Amino acid sequence: MSAEERSFAAEAWHQSIRSPKTVVGALIVGAMIILAIFAPQIAPNDPANQDLANMLLPPMWAQGGISDYPFGTDSLGRCILSQMIYGARVALMVGFLAAIGAMLFGTTLALIAGYFGGWVDRLIGYFVDLWMSLPPVVLSLTLMVGFGTGIGNVILSIVLVDWTRFCRVVRSEVLVVRRKDFVSAAQLLGFSHTRIILREILPSVAPLVITLFSLQVGIGVIVEAILSFVGLSVPADVPAWGMMIASARSYMYQAPWGILLPILAMFVTVLGFNLLGEGLRVTLDPRFRRRTS
Amino acid sequence: MAVLSFESVTVTAHMKAANVELLRDISFALEKGEVIGLVGESGAGKSMIGRVISGLLPDNFSVSSGEVKFEGLNLLTLSKAARRDLLGRRIAFIPQEPLSALNPVRAIGDQFQEHLKHLGIAKEAIRPLMIERLQQVGLANAEEILLRYPHELSGGQCQRVLIAMAFSGEPALVVADEPTTALDVVTQAQIMRLIAAQQAQHGTAVLFITHDLRLAANVCKSVGVMYAGDMVEYGPAAAVLQSPSHPYTKSLLAAIPRMTGERRMLPTLSEQMPGVKTFATLAGCRFAQRCPAKDPSCVSATLQRRFVEEGHWTRCGDACGGFEFASGEPLLIETMGINEREAPAVEFKNVRLQYKARRGFLGLRKSSFDAVRSASFAVRPGEILGIVGESGSGKSSIGRLIVGLEQSTEGTIRIAGEERGAHGNTLHLTRRDTQLIFQDPQSALNPRRSVLQLLTQGLEVGPNGLSTPQRQAAADNILQDIGLPADCLSRFPSQLSGGQRQRVNIGRALCLEPKLVVADEIVSGLDVSVQAHILNCLLELNRQKNLTMVFISHDLAVVRYLCSRILMMYRGEIVEEGETEEVFAKPKHPYTKLLMESVPPETKGGGWLGSSAG
Repeated sequence: MSAEERSFAAEAWHQSIRSPKTVVGALIVGAMIILAIFAPQIAPNDPANQDLANMLLPPMWAQGGISDYPFGTDSLGRCILSQMIYGARVALMVGFLAAIGAMLFGTTLALIAGYFGGWVDRLIGYFVDLWMSLPPVVLSLTLMVGFGTGIGNVILSIVLVDWTRFCRVVRSEVLVVRRKDFVSAAQLLGFSHTRIILREILPSVAPLVITLFSLQVGIGVIVEAILSFVGLSVPADVPAWGMMIASARSYMYQAPWGILLPILAMFVTVLGFNLLGEGLRVTLDPRFRRRTS
Repeated sequence: MAVLSFESVTVTAHMKAANVELLRDISFALEKGEVIGLVGESGAGKSMIGRVISGLLPDNFSVSSGEVKFEGLNLLTLSKAARRDLLGRRIAFIPQEPLSALNPVRAIGDQFQEHLKHLGIAKEAIRPLMIERLQQVGLANAEEILLRYPHELSGGQCQRVLIAMAFSGEPALVVADEPTTALDVVTQAQIMRLIAAQQAQHGTAVLFITHDLRLAANVCKSVGVMYAGDMVEYGPAAAVLQSPSHPYTKSLLAAIPRMTGERRMLPTLSEQMPGVKTFATLAGCRFAQRCPAKDPSCVSATLQRRFVEEGHWTRCGDACGGFEFASGEPLLIETMGINEREAPAVEFKNVRLQYKARRGFLGLRKSSFDAVRSASFAVRPGEILGIVGESGSGKSSIGRLIVGLEQSTEGTIRIAGEERGAHGNTLHLTRRDTQLIFQDPQSALNPRRSVLQLLTQGLEVGPNGLSTPQRQAAADNILQDIGLPADCLSRFPSQLSGGQRQRVNIGRALCLEPKLVVADEIVSGLDVSVQAHILNCLLELNRQKNLTMVFISHDLAVVRYLCSRILMMYRGEIVEEGETEEVFAKPKHPYTKLLMESVPPETKGGGWLGSSAG
């Protein structure tokens, strides 16, 4: 294919690999996904294994550290590095599934509201406004208490809290696309509403949705950490970053490394998704793209 | 001493691949109190000249040779501070988009007085001066205007404010870059008269940049015609307008539909103006590849000025001198194939269209506005009906009512004899028989579809659904009808030129073989040479396929060229209706007369600028 006849997707890919933000973000996200999938192969120890002879060990390079536990152990003698690696599983699973849920729910309502307009739009708009006036942290904690703990409920509560973000932002973009003449042209050609929404409007708002999705994964990771910090997420034997922070908190002065690693992991993961989202926003948006004349 | 002089100025863009000369050897001189016009199609480099004067060339552009002198000062060697000091005080600009040139969050008076403060006017004198200047530009309620914000004024009023601001510092030079392009033709005439009056009153020199050769010729003393970075012809306005010498100038004039005389097919040039990227590959005359009068020396020889007479030169070989466009075949209404016996293609009876809006808390406050008041008319099968009116007159609403994008509030609409159901039950049927060609192809073509997908969009699903190879064949047929090369099919709209995009836009409307097509302002954003191509394409579709058309436009000359009959709309009402020639010969409604007077005439000397009070 010549440079001039590149398809839209190929063009976006070509732009993406030249944007440092997208590349760095994608590398971080990719590394985290690999860590999560291959945790059993990568982690040096079983994260649940308690070595009571070696509690609160410092990292291997510090005095008193041993190479079996590269980043030391926590108050129960569990390997911090292994817990961190396994913790990526919960974090990413919650992040991705919650973002997918919020995306599907929010975007669907946004497409319906923006396309049909009128009372449909007003109804959905008022509902979103009402929903957003509830404080998010209180709402998710209440939902968790109501649903009970467990990873499925964590995901559900994030979806229920964060779908409004998708709905509001995507709706405004749908309104812009809706007014374009190519939508009227498709109506004149006798296309059904569903077909117009899926074939004409959705592709135009897809870059925005992908960008929001990437940012939402980062937010999901943080919310999961908050909920597991207060013990409302996964059971105690499943390693999660929030739980690591919670348990290392009591020994913060004796063993500060225990709290640093999960925070670092969270920081890097969220940074990765934000960079990726920011980079994609620029590379996928045709308005930022060079004109090919 | 000239106020402004360009002496063989060449502007070079330093691009990755090569250095490209965007302006070549530009020379002209503007004397005190004189008006010079620079004319060219988009991409000709005319606005670049304005940027050279303001010093706002993009980073990788530079003036590689030549001198720009302003009142004896060499602008190019002047320090940045000294140059900035000249801008606004000695050199003022009137911008193209009046609304975007004013700050939307500050009142007019606030912006005006800041400008005057910058000019060093004493504080007490500012307010009386502002009021005096606004009254001079025809804003009688100046006190009130000062308190208004830009969005509360019309485009014409904003442009008046900017003109008042530009002339308020008694500058020696005013650069007006397409000051009326965003305005309708009546306002354009008023604004041009205003600029002329201000210019005469203050003895200012004006450099007038425009794409409209007739307008420039009627306003200016001398005119320079630009093509692809060259000034191809320069001379007294009347001479350039009435006896042009360069083939490009001739083609430009020939491509404008005429307001008087016999209607003839417009001659068109092949292709379009070359893009900046290909400038480097064009040796010699950059117009040569499209020139109908070229000879081998055109592409090899360097450009020489050839004087036609005192003060009128052209940059062209001797061979071109005698060239004239052959006049096209006459266009007769009789060749249209209008069918009087069949039921009208469209019939409106007392149709009203009311828009309702909800505002305020929970949308409880309702307001309404009549876009179309009470329209009754009929379109005969096979004819091209023109609907003319200024923006907001309701002409586009009529088009949308015909194709079914809007539902009438009152009255009946019959399409080919069949009444359109009030509740849209027959909507899908009528929609396929009637299609709309949208004004702006940028918005009307989904950027994510290829030309092939766009042209055959209507054949994808439903009763007209076809398989992929069948669609390919259908697309080939449409391509021929609209005159596009076959290699366009795999491209995307962003990879096409403006004219090609408009052709795709037309082709998409034709794919379901409609009986009636509504064309809504489809040539208004195009350069005249491209416009001529599109108009001829429409004529051919009408003559060969017997396609009925409703052609909506604000441009009287274009409507006269295409249409058998005209509807004149004004504020939601049809104020005049009749056979084209009849309406042009004897306009009845005052608005029609005003519209006709506002079009710059084909010959200079009629005193168009002073023909009525500005």
